[in-house]
Amino acid sequence: MPRIAVWDAPTRLFHWALAVLVVFSFVTGKIGGGWMAWHVKSGYAILSLLAFRLAWGIVGSETARFSHFLSGPRTAVAYVRALAARRLPTVVGHNPLGGWMVALMIALLLLQAGTGLFADDDIATQGPLAAKVSEAWVGRATAIHKWNEWAIVAAVTLHVSAIAFYHLALRKDLIGPMVHGRMESDAAAPRAAPVVLAAVLFAIACGAVYWLVAVYPRAP
Amino acid sequence: MKPIALAAAVCLAASAATASAQALKPEKEIQLRQSAYALMGYNFANLGAMAQDKKPYNKEEAARSADFVAMLADVPKGFFGPGTEHGRDTKAKPEIWEKRSDFDAKMDKMVQETKKLPPAARTDLAALKKAVGDAGAACKACHDDYRAK
Repeated sequence: MPRIAVWDAPTRLFHWALAVLVVFSFVTGKIGGGWMAWHVKSGYAILSLLAFRLAWGIVGSETARFSHFLSGPRTAVAYVRALAARRLPTVVGHNPLGGWMVALMIALLLLQAGTGLFADDDIATQGPLAAKVSEAWVGRATAIHKWNEWAIVAAVTLHVSAIAFYHLALRKDLIGPMVHGRMESDAAAPRAAPVVLAAVLFAIACGAVYWLVAVYPRAP
Repeated sequence: MKPIALAAAVCLAASAATASAQALKPEKEIQLRQSAYALMGYNFANLGAMAQDKKPYNKEEAARSADFVAMLADVPKGFFGPGTEHGRDTKAKPEIWEKRSDFDAKMDKMVQETKKLPPAARTDLAALKKAVGDAGAACKACHDDYRAK
């Protein structure tokens, strides 16, 4: 079977950078102390990545677009039925279940990074926007930040379990394509957006996050 | 025992008895520990801002904040007495009274780490960063287990 490019480089880089940073954020948050400064910086990086991914989900490559992988519940149910019957439908890009996993993960991580901006651990670390809102909102944001952590752990566990299931039960390698970007398929290769567009979008995302966490908080 | 030493011992015992006889209302105890934490928090956050490069390191200001934290760190442990599990919106978890020895050990660790803040604040920013990191981790150990979210 011919090999086609399914995941573009920006999407793959985004994915692995996010995976590393989420683990790093979790660990530094757990250790605390002097690592909190890094926990905060890691959160800024995650927020930048997410902002980029939202934009890439609208104007990026075909398989990175939300319109490509977000489908209705009926499609998802049909997909699950096929899996249950051990028929693996060929999908170029995210399958109907994986697509919703992407959306869930982005939503949970946005909530986590967003509440982190307003959080205060009542020790030595404050989100950059905590001083801009009332203590009641700081308290709410901090509580959400602490509980949502476990929602993310659950989502990551589900995500990794699903990949293990595909690997072991369905003999389908999903990790390889996310590393090298290619898969074997007779289908036509999906359309890829220019990498330079991704670079520009990521630079804008970083600039916006920098303004939000470093420039705006200093304004009176 | 010399008479003067005996007299001193009697005086000490008497003052100790007076102190314990002044039983505080649980509500008052909670208020006192919360007040100590609030002032510790304010001063420790100031050190945290310097340690995290959010504001410039200023030796005098850092020393002042560090002195406050080190002094106030001794206060809360005396105000987790019986009947102070509830009231004044306390975030103290019931586990404090169930696993008291562990709670006390973590409290002692925090007190011990905060004692290193004043000399570190008077040394340099690198020393302050280290001491703030260690003390912050000691604070967190208790917050994680014994403070409601």
